[in-house]
Amino acid sequence: MTSMPGQPVTAVVQRIEIQKLRQADNLILGFSIGGGIDQDPGQNPFSKDKTDKGIYVTRITPEGPAHEAGLRMGDKILQVNGWDMTMMTHDQARKRLTKKNEDVVRLLVTRKSLEEAVKQSMGSGPRQEHCGTPSNHKLMH
Amino acid sequence: MNNSKNQRDSDIQKKIDHEIRMRDGACKLLAACSQKDQALEAAKSLQTCSTRIMAYMSELQRMKEAQVMQKVTRRSSDAGPMDDRHPCKGKVAISDLRIPLMWKDTEYFKNKGELHRCAVFCLLQLGGEIFDTDMVIVDRTLTDICFDNTIVFNEASPGFELRVELYSCCSEDDYSAGSTPRKLASKLSSSLGRSAGKKLRSAMEPGPCSPVSNGGAAPLLLPVPSVPGPKYHLLAHTTLSLSHVQDSFRTHDLTISGNEECSYWLPLYGSMCCRLAAQPQCMTQQMMSGCLKVKQLGGDPQSSTEVYAVLKGTSLFCYHRQEDVEANVEPAFTIAINKETRIRASEKDPHSKVQNICISNQYGGEEVTHTLTTDSREDTHRWMEAFWQHFYDMSQWKQCCDDLMKIELPSPRKPAPVTPKQGSLYHEMVIESSDDLSSTVSDILARRMQELELRSQLGTSPTWMSVFDENNPKSAGRPRPCTSRLSGHSPCTPHRLPRSPVIPHRCPQLGLLSSDASLTSDSDSHCSTSPCSQRHGWPEPSSNFSLLSSSPSRLRPRTLSLDAKLSTLRGRGYGAGGTFQCPCQPPPSSLLTPLPISSCSPRSQRSTQTTLSCSSSTSSNSSSNSEGSHSPESSEGAPFSRPSPARRSLRNLRARLDPRNWLQSQV
Repeated sequence: MTSMPGQPVTAVVQRIEIQKLRQADNLILGFSIGGGIDQDPGQNPFSKDKTDKGIYVTRITPEGPAHEAGLRMGDKILQVNGWDMTMMTHDQARKRLTKKNEDVVRLLVTRKSLEEAVKQSMGSGPRQEHCGTPSNHKLMH
Repeated sequence: MNNSKNQRDSDIQKKIDHEIRMRDGACKLLAACSQKDQALEAAKSLQTCSTRIMAYMSELQRMKEAQVMQKVTRRSSDAGPMDDRHPCKGKVAISDLRIPLMWKDTEYFKNKGELHRCAVFCLLQLGGEIFDTDMVIVDRTLTDICFDNTIVFNEASPGFELRVELYSCCSEDDYSAGSTPRKLASKLSSSLGRSAGKKLRSAMEPGPCSPVSNGGAAPLLLPVPSVPGPKYHLLAHTTLSLSHVQDSFRTHDLTISGNEECSYWLPLYGSMCCRLAAQPQCMTQQMMSGCLKVKQLGGDPQSSTEVYAVLKGTSLFCYHRQEDVEANVEPAFTIAINKETRIRASEKDPHSKVQNICISNQYGGEEVTHTLTTDSREDTHRWMEAFWQHFYDMSQWKQCCDDLMKIELPSPRKPAPVTPKQGSLYHEMVIESSDDLSSTVSDILARRMQELELRSQLGTSPTWMSVFDENNPKSAGRPRPCTSRLSGHSPCTPHRLPRSPVIPHRCPQLGLLSSDASLTSDSDSHCSTSPCSQRHGWPEPSSNFSLLSSSPSRLRPRTLSLDAKLSTLRGRGYGAGGTFQCPCQPPPSSLLTPLPISSCSPRSQRSTQTTLSCSSSTSSNSSSNSEGSHSPESSEGAPFSRPSPARRSLRNLRARLDPRNWLQSQV
C-alpha cells in the first residue's frame, strides 16, 4: 500500500487481540518487529512499497501468544491499542507494545492476503476464503 | 657448498644494492615532486624499499651467522647427509584484502567536520619477499579499505609466517605536513576549529604517535632518511600462517598501533578479511614418475598392467604410455593417495626377489588394494621414498593438500586513472580526439562505466551513474553517492569477477533471517520457524526484489563483520552475502542471483553452517544476543575471531545505535 505522507491510508485490516504471556519478569508477545521512521525502509523484506517506513512483523514465535491470536509474519501493524503506528520510530513502537501495565494488546494489522481475500470474496460470490474471521475485516479510512 | 653460499651472498648483495638505488630514486622523487599524489606514491616506494633493505640485510646477517656456526659444528658432527625430511615448498597467495572501518555515524551520515583523508597501503612479507599493495586514499565516505592486488609468494615452507602491515599517512587536503612554516601553522591551528587544529598539529609532529605506542611489536620500519614530505606510519599489523589458509575468505584480527590522537589514525574495526590460499608443490608438480606394473587385488592374479605412473597431488595417475602425459590423454586409471591411504612394502616375492608395494584405499567401505611391482630394488626404494616424502608433505601442509586451491595470477592491468575529487559528469568524461564525434554519448558512457568498473577500488562511483539506471526512475532524485564495496567472492561463480555485484535483494533475506533481538530479555528465544519455509507463500518479495535490484538507491553501505562472515559461506548461493555495490551497470551476472533465493529456502533448515548466526535460521538457535539485521555479531563462531568482551558490548551498543541497521526487536 503506497502512501504519501499526509494522505489518508486505505487498507483492509484485521483486528488481532493478543494476551501477553508472563515469563518470569517479562510480559512477552512472541513476535519481532522491524521498521520505523528512523530505519531504512529499503531493507524491509515484507513491504510492497520500499519507501514504507511502517512497523512490520518480522518473526513469529510458533505457539506463542501472537501466533495463537492470528498474527502472521509480514503483517504491517497500523495501530496498537488505539495508538497509531504508521509514523513511529522503531523504539517508540517497541515501547508501545511492551508496556508493563498492559496485559493485552489490540492490534490493527494489514497484510496483502487480506486485500486479495476481500477482492475474491466480492468478485466471485459464494466462494469462502479462509483468512481470519470475516467479521473482523473492515475497510478503514 | 661454499660456492653456493657465495652465490647466495652475492645474490642478496645485488638485491640490496638494487633496493638502495631504488630508495635513492624515491628520495629524489619525493623531494622533487609537487603533487600530493606523487608525493604519497613516492613515499610509499620509499617505505617499501627501506623495508626490503632491512629484510635483506637481516637475511645476510643470518646467513653469515649460519656459516660461522656450521664451521664450528662441522668438526663435532658427522659429515653425513642430514637425515631430516624437509617438506616441499609451495606458493602462498593472498588476495582481496579488505579492512572494514568503523566511522562514527555522525561522521558518516552527517558529513560533519572536514573530510579527513588518509593514504594507506599494505606491506606483506613472507620469508625474504616483501611486496606492497597499491595505495588507496581513504576518507569517511568509505566503509572498507579494499586492496585489489593478488600477491603470490613462491618458495614458502609450511611453517611460513606472512606478516601483513597496514601503513597510513595523513593526507589533509591543503595542509601538507612539511611545507607550512611553523609560525603560520600555529597561527592557523589556533584560528581553526579545535579538531582541525589538533589534526594539523599532530600532522606536524608525526613522531610521538608511532613506534612508541607499539607495545614492543617492532615494525619493519627502518629509520628512513629524513626527507621532507609525507611519512607513513604503521597503523595495524597481523601475522598469518598455515592455519589461516583456506580456500575461501576469512577474517583475522588486526593489532592496531596508534591511537585517536595520531594524524594517521583511521577507525579500524579491528579485523581484516582476505583469501589466503596455498599450493604446495606436491599438489602441483610431479613428485615421482616411472614405469610400474600394477595389479589389483581381487582381480585376475596374473594380469598386471604396465603403466607409466605419475605421482602428483592426491593421486597416482597411471598412463598407458609415457607420451600420454604430455599429450594430456586421460590416464588409464588413478589410484588415490591421500591421508587415508596405506602403503606398505610386501614380503619379498620368492621368485623375483623384488619387493612389491601395496597401496590400500577405502572406497566407500570397501578396501581396494593395488600392488605395484618395479623392475629393480632401487626403483622400489625410490618409489617408497617418494611416497614417504609425499605423505610427509601432506602432513605438513595439512589442509592445503585436500584439494588444489586456485591461485589467480595477477594479470597486468591497465594503469588506473586517478579518481577525480568531484563526481560530476563533466569532470569524468574524457572525449578523446580519436573518437568519432558522431558516436553517441551513451557509447562513451558505456565505455566509461567499464573503465570505472575495472578500476573502482575506492568504491565511490559518481552520482551521475544513477541517472542512467533505467530500472528505477526514482533513483535519479537521490543525491547521495553510492558507495560500492568490494565483495567477497562467491565460491559459486566459476569465474571470479573482482567486483561481482551482489544484488541488494539479498539484504532483505539477511534481515529476515536475523536472530532474535533481545531487548527485553536475554532468554534464548523459542525455536524460531524458518523464515525461508514460510516464504513459499509469499513469492512476491523475491520477484519484487529482482525488479528493484538494480536500483542504486536501495543500497546502503554495509560494513563490519557481517560481510566477512557471510563471505565465508560456501555454496549457499548467497555468494558474497551482505556486501553490496552500486550496480550502475547491471552486468549479466545479475541473472544468476534470483537462483540463490529459491535454492536456499529448502536448504536452510538443514544448513550446517552454524558458524553464521546472523543469517541462518538454524543457527539462530545457537544463542546470539545481538539484534539488528546487520549489527556486528560478536558471539558466534569460527570465521569471526572473537573480540574482547568489553569491545563486544561496545559494538553491540554501537550496532543498536547505528542507524544503518534495520533493527528488529522482539516483543
